[in-house]
Amino acid sequence: MNGLERVIATLAGKDTDCQPFTMLLSLYGACLTKSNTNDYYRDPNLWFLGQKAVVQTFDPDILIAPFSIPTEAEAFGSELIYLKNYPPNIKKPVITDLSQIDGMQMPDYHKSPSINFFLQSTSLLADSFSKTKAIGAPLLSPCDIPALLMGIEMWIDTLLFHKQEAALLIEKMKHHFIRMGNEFLARGATFLIVPVNFTNPMIITEKIFNQLLPSLEKAFSQIKGPIVIHNGGCKIMPFIDRFAKLPNVVAMVLEPRESFEEARKIIGEKMLLMGNFDGPNFVNLSKEKAIEISLKILNDRKDDKHFIFATSNADIPYDTPIETIKAVVESIRNFKK
Amino acid sequence: MDNTEKQKILAEFISEGEKEQAIASLTTWSIETSFKEVIFEVLEPLLITWGKLWMQGKLSLAHGYISGKVAEEFYVIASGNEEFNIATKENKGTIVLGNIEDDFHPLGRRLVKIFSQAMGWNMIDLGNDIPAEVFVEKAIENKADIIAISAMMFTTAKNIIKVRKELDTLKLSGQIKLAVGGAVFKLRPELVTEIGGDGTADTAIEAPQLFERLLKTEDL
Repeated sequence: MNGLERVIATLAGKDTDCQPFTMLLSLYGACLTKSNTNDYYRDPNLWFLGQKAVVQTFDPDILIAPFSIPTEAEAFGSELIYLKNYPPNIKKPVITDLSQIDGMQMPDYHKSPSINFFLQSTSLLADSFSKTKAIGAPLLSPCDIPALLMGIEMWIDTLLFHKQEAALLIEKMKHHFIRMGNEFLARGATFLIVPVNFTNPMIITEKIFNQLLPSLEKAFSQIKGPIVIHNGGCKIMPFIDRFAKLPNVVAMVLEPRESFEEARKIIGEKMLLMGNFDGPNFVNLSKEKAIEISLKILNDRKDDKHFIFATSNADIPYDTPIETIKAVVESIRNFKK
Repeated sequence: MDNTEKQKILAEFISEGEKEQAIASLTTWSIETSFKEVIFEVLEPLLITWGKLWMQGKLSLAHGYISGKVAEEFYVIASGNEEFNIATKENKGTIVLGNIEDDFHPLGRRLVKIFSQAMGWNMIDLGNDIPAEVFVEKAIENKADIIAISAMMFTTAKNIIKVRKELDTLKLSGQIKLAVGGAVFKLRPELVTEIGGDGTADTAIEAPQLFERLLKTEDL
């Protein structure tokens, strides 16, 4: 079986020749190719070379298109800061006053360097690998990206006390989400990965989440392909029942402290579950400890046919020893279900 | 109605995002009893409890944000009350607080302000993107005991070195303590000393304890 076949079989709950897996190695490609991260997150060709190196070194079943959510916000005018050996981060959000929302322009999808980076990188990835591997394209939901456009504090304030402005911004972002999401799929992505960095119980109250659900439903229903909900670095369990019912959602990536068993009790046996090795913590682990954690996860999911081993949270850090990652990959591939 | 029941009602309003109703209730209770009692026996215990729950991941940032807004606005109302001002508890010290130059991530700073104020610290909040010399200038002007600086990223955290240099130049190091905090210090604890900090706290709720420790520490 190739990676794509393994992923499709797992989605259907069928047996596979070995345990499928993926890791968030978007940044690590820069380490493997010794690329400057400033250039790496700007140049689709350089980024693609990094991902080719990821395939050659670790051979995951799912490849992930650029995971750099601040770059998506940059397309709208948020200012980024580029850091050596890290993905870029938001330096200055574009919205500083709610009156800016009304006149806010969508990015020029043909000219924006940020949009071009995502789309070109996805095309390069898909052109080379879409027949043999699944490709996930990360894209923030219309209810998450506003936090990167105005900062999390202002977004929470807007959600709580300026509901009209919040609705207006979500509506604008909904068009962006649908357009970008379907463009990723048209270019060969197998599914979208939607990180819920700001629509989770660690950031917003249940009341706010319930108010946002109709917007998520409308946006997700217009995506022409499957959607994977990614924990975005936060626990999602208290909201997982509602995430699971959103249109086109086929899988969830759990946070490392969350229990698969608990998730199964809430959402049933059929939904694909992924996780939950802590990606950013990889760098702090010895090879032995990393293998121990992997085996614990694999043994926990031994009888679960709808499970893909995955790293959760953000990228595996640039300076993680390659031997540690290889050891985990080996333990996954050798694991007998 | 006793203070425990009042806390429950207040918690419910805040959970529902009903800021105005929360403030109205606090004001009504203050008229019935006193601002002093409502602040010290209802609002501040709730803030501390919620801070702990937030730290345990049992409450969202939005809960923390609304409770902070309620506290901020109610403190303004209470400050107009003579009896409350006379009865205000002893000031533990003055802290000049802000996000370092180039840093625009205010949430952690605001939470530090709320929890520290609740614990009796006089907080002077300078806001975002504050140059090193302004921190020191404002600390001198306000006779501050501590400068507390927030930075989220490695690149902005490095700007804190300038504050340490400024304090050294003016021979104020040791006299004015330098507390630092933010996501990057949790990931890289060694950075605290590298950039010249005297100490850090992992979360906003732990910041008041850090400030007390720093004031007890002799010249560092």
